[in-house]
Amino acid sequence: MFMLAMRSVRRRPGRFAGTLLSAFLGAVITMAFNSMHDTAGGAGVDDSSAETLGLSGGVVGGYSTLLVFFAVASTLTVNVRQRTDEISLLRSTGATPAQIKRMVTGEAAVIALVAAILAIVPAMLAGNALLEMFKDTDQVAAGVDYVFGPIALGAGFGITLLASAGAAYLAVRRATRAAAGERAPRARMRTIGGTLALLAGIGGISSTFAMEGDEPVLMMGPAYGAILLSVGFAAFSTGLLRALLVLVARPLGLLTGGSGYLAVNALRRRAEHQAGILMPLILFTGIGFATLCIQAVESAAIDASGLVKSVEDKNVETLNTIVVGIIVAFCCVMLINSLYAATSYRVKEFGGQRLAGATPRQVVGGVGVEAALLTVTGVLFGTLAGYAGLLAFVSVRTGAEMPGSGPLIWAGIVVVGAAATMLTTLLTARRALRVPAVVAVA
Amino acid sequence: MFRHERAPGSAPGPEALRLVKVSKTYGTAENAVTALDDVTLSLPAGSFTAVMGPSGSGKSTLLQCAAGLDRPDQGIVVVDGAEMTAGGEAELTKFRRSRIGFVFQQYNLLPTLTVLQNTLLPFKLARRRPDRAGAREILGRVGLGDRLGHYPDELSGGQRQRAAIARALVTRPSVIFADEPTGALDLRSAREVLALLRDAVRTHGRTVVMVTHDPVAASYADAVVFLADGRLAGWMHAPTADAVAERLAHLGDTVDAEV
Ligand SMILES: Nc1ncnc2c1ncn2[C@@H]1O[C@H](COP(=O)(O)OP(=O)(O)OP(=O)(O)O)[C@@H](O)[C@H]1O
Ligand SMILES: [Mg+2]
Repeated sequence: MFMLAMRSVRRRPGRFAGTLLSAFLGAVITMAFNSMHDTAGGAGVDDSSAETLGLSGGVVGGYSTLLVFFAVASTLTVNVRQRTDEISLLRSTGATPAQIKRMVTGEAAVIALVAAILAIVPAMLAGNALLEMFKDTDQVAAGVDYVFGPIALGAGFGITLLASAGAAYLAVRRATRAAAGERAPRARMRTIGGTLALLAGIGGISSTFAMEGDEPVLMMGPAYGAILLSVGFAAFSTGLLRALLVLVARPLGLLTGGSGYLAVNALRRRAEHQAGILMPLILFTGIGFATLCIQAVESAAIDASGLVKSVEDKNVETLNTIVVGIIVAFCCVMLINSLYAATSYRVKEFGGQRLAGATPRQVVGGVGVEAALLTVTGVLFGTLAGYAGLLAFVSVRTGAEMPGSGPLIWAGIVVVGAAATMLTTLLTARRALRVPAVVAVA
Repeated sequence: MFRHERAPGSAPGPEALRLVKVSKTYGTAENAVTALDDVTLSLPAGSFTAVMGPSGSGKSTLLQCAAGLDRPDQGIVVVDGAEMTAGGEAELTKFRRSRIGFVFQQYNLLPTLTVLQNTLLPFKLARRRPDRAGAREILGRVGLGDRLGHYPDELSGGQRQRAAIARALVTRPSVIFADEPTGALDLRSAREVLALLRDAVRTHGRTVVMVTHDPVAASYADAVVFLADGRLAGWMHAPTADAVAERLAHLGDTVDAEV
């Protein structure tokens, strides 16, 4: 089975590109930030430098690692779902469920391993650049040498492998059970997982209140909390999507004709599959909104205090700016990646629609309506998750004052998220239509 | 070289489908494959025609060119009196909607729609008033009256194919094209499907063109067109399974001899 796994990776490399990309980016981020711990542990590093480095590794490395975990897992879930046909073919050729699981999990592990190896050099460069930035801003002594050591490697390989293999295992287990005709206890598992994530998220956000207003790690709780809330919401968002569909089905049908009809039915029947798409969208909105606003509050609070910014404040500001930039960009790439994978896989379905009499415009229109509905759902939940984190942070940091730039930041995030969702989906769908309909359904 | 019992260009009565000098080549220069070579034929309205020939002889290509799913390199295609013009996919789709229905070997029902929704889909897409009563009636006729709310993955292969036929019939197209519609079915389901197609011709005056490899399936048709190497290789009226099988065997000989 392992040989089969290797062969399928080698024969169809394109299909694994998306998974490889997400695992690679995830590993780079995890390793780069965790190498700050390694650097802090180096010989002759003074206390203040070590603290800055530890803080960066801890706060950023900590929650970006969590983020990477869920992002990689959601890409893989989409990837495995697309292979239902292959899995049932293997079953009918005599593969046992255990063999199929080993094959798919093995593939995922191999890809994660390759991704992590490829990530080492870029992560070193990124980590080094980060250190240089700390040095340039006098937050770390100039004499500190960059170290890329066991913590970076351990975290990078560990997280990437665990997220990939774990997600692949769960997804393939679901797929083999479904192929064997079992009613998967999916709803229950999802409810439990989602509830746990929500509870942990609330816990993370509540932990903010246990801290002093001026502690540099104050933003850790709300950020962790917002990530976990996003994950929890993603689990339950499909329910909301269903409710939304019931509401908009008629007006959409009247307004958009065939396109709306195709979209509503496709989403309704596959609502639970959308969690894999909604997860990156909710994470992007939630994390982007929370961290950008938190940073705005922080800067405003420092300015208002009338003090000259301390080294520590500068520390956090630099950190946050970098973090927010990287993390938000990462989420956006993940979103695009998952959407691309999910849409390009639907060539056959589009072919069927065209043969049933849909013009290319109607097919693309249907996909556009789907993307719009997903955007609404994702933005709603992302905003909720981000707002919860922001609210906690603000009430501890400044009392109650919301940042004046909040609505603007929110609008910016929504515009980017909506544009990424719509453009990726529409462009991919258009490309999928280049295949003649008869070939597409064969 | 080819024996014509009757010239295929001289069908009596109103025409449902006419191909004039249709050619289609796949691939480029060195490895070009001529899938259709100067095919001319005419089918009267209300006829049931089977298309037969060895694998790779161009049957599917013929069907797809005639149905506007593929574009011939040369020649003209006239369906129900209207010439298919070179246009974009959207134009061809609109051309097909009112005139042409398809049935394929692999049913091609949308997995996200129920049987009834699948049947009504062509109306939704064409923004026409869905003929619900008509759809129910046809679905009842194909034996799916009690499966209207089922999804395709809850049906057997034969049931799916019958649903696909219902969808092809519901818009009352003048020509229905079927490419090996019984290819994936057991004997009994296959007979049911063939009877339905014949019924569409006999009672509802549709024109059916069906590609098949099965002489028994071909015997349900009024006439059989034989293809070999992309060319018309004969024509048989009122076919019987034995006569068709016999003819196919010879067709094989000719093709082998030519190679
Ligand atoms: N998209 C394509 N690209 C290149 N060659 C093609 C393509 N489609 C068909 N051909 C070639 O054209 C010829 C006719 O193919 P066609 O599918 O029409 O055969 P067929 O009679 O339907 O065969 P079968 O009975 O096996 O279905 C074959 O030689 C085939 O290889
Ligand atoms: Mg064929």
